[in-house]
Amino acid sequence: MLTHINQYAVMFYILFWVIRINGCIRRGRQPLLRGKEWFFNVHVQPDFYTGEGRKILHRYWMRMLIPIAVDIPLAIAIFWSGRLLLLNWLILGLCALIHINHSYSVDLAERQARPFAVPEAEQPVASVALSLTPRRLRDYSNPRFERVLAISTVLALAWLVRYYFAAPAHHNLRMVFGAPVILLYLQLGLLWVKRVVVAWRTPVPQEQASEHLEAREETRKHYLLVCDVHRAAATAGVLFWPIELSLSPASFDSVITAWLAFWLVFTIAGTVWLEIRRKQLVKIALRTRPVKLPDLLRQSEIARWPVCYQPSAPMLMLKGAHGYSLNLANTLTYLGAAYMAGLVALFALLRMGR
Amino acid sequence: MLLTIDTNDPRPIYQQVADGIKELIARGKLAEGASLPPVRQLAADLGVNLNTIATAYHELQKDGLIVVKHGSGSVVASLTSTERSHDELVRPLRTALTELVLAGLSSSKILSMVVRELSTVGKESK
Repeated sequence: MLTHINQYAVMFYILFWVIRINGCIRRGRQPLLRGKEWFFNVHVQPDFYTGEGRKILHRYWMRMLIPIAVDIPLAIAIFWSGRLLLLNWLILGLCALIHINHSYSVDLAERQARPFAVPEAEQPVASVALSLTPRRLRDYSNPRFERVLAISTVLALAWLVRYYFAAPAHHNLRMVFGAPVILLYLQLGLLWVKRVVVAWRTPVPQEQASEHLEAREETRKHYLLVCDVHRAAATAGVLFWPIELSLSPASFDSVITAWLAFWLVFTIAGTVWLEIRRKQLVKIALRTRPVKLPDLLRQSEIARWPVCYQPSAPMLMLKGAHGYSLNLANTLTYLGAAYMAGLVALFALLRMGR
Repeated sequence: MLLTIDTNDPRPIYQQVADGIKELIARGKLAEGASLPPVRQLAADLGVNLNTIATAYHELQKDGLIVVKHGSGSVVASLTSTERSHDELVRPLRTALTELVLAGLSSSKILSMVVRELSTVGKESK
């Protein structure tokens, strides 16, 4: 049984590498997506790529390799130890590292390129617009989909309760309810992320306002869909848990193999879909001309990085002198920290019961 | 339903926010009872100081255009409930007309300008 799960952990890890190669190529092309006159969203001088720009670009490409440099020794250690299930945790950690590293890297590269920008392009636009059109989570939710998720969760939990009370002396409470509770907690987190994505607004330049708003709306819908796909996956996990617990030893191996194979296919299909969708979003984003927005809060004077405390500036992230800084005076920061603390506490509780 | 801020505009930002919301109310885009974003949220969205939005909302409240409900945010007040005297209503009109006269515009030009602006506002209001 364990051999099969280990095999799938290795397969997922290999798949993760394949996906990353594609991601590396995509991120590598990102600075030049708008053509040779641009470096990401900075309108650069014509000789940029023959001079200092070349070095900035190379440094950006080198920074993209940081997650690989972290990954290889850790993966070797995991394979050496034989605890192959740790590969799943490695994948999760690397996903976070790749995104944080990329965001930081893009911001740093743009800041390095700014001194070589076309001077007129570096002037912030004078007029910005903010859409006040009300947006509610329910406007971006599919009631049928939500009903299916709710019914599936209730059914799975009812089944688990029945399973547990059928022989409470033989079943461990944490073993029966642990995984579903974690998955439900993740569901809750995803719902909260959806709410934040729906409420998120930023000003757009008044010139080309409709194009910018369209690009943001499409991006918003994309991230909400990604959240829903993950919520569906979490619900499928909750639904499968009582099935897994009720399996006879004879059928366990084959059902688990089928289940993991399904997820492997789902991951491959999901990755392909995500790439297609990303290309569509890039096409829409390229219709908008990047501009510098006015710094109404003098954020660029904030020297603290990567965290700061600015109670009068209610944003989550502030673009300070050294890049984006997490504002500790924001409610979302507190809620995010409380959520992560809850997740750690939940894992600790479940481990204690082993 | 766009709220615009122009850094070249001589008016302070809080005034631009207040005037922008007033315009949206006048055009009927923010109907009676419509919720306004909370002060903190609007300040975060626009990237301005909390006090800027708080001052703008205070001005709108003073003019009787919004009702601030503690704990549940602000909503657009009923336009008929604004108990403002004739003098209070005429004063901003007189100020605007004085500026146009001082800018050297003829009465007929000012009148056509007023009619055009009024029709723009009226067209979009209910």
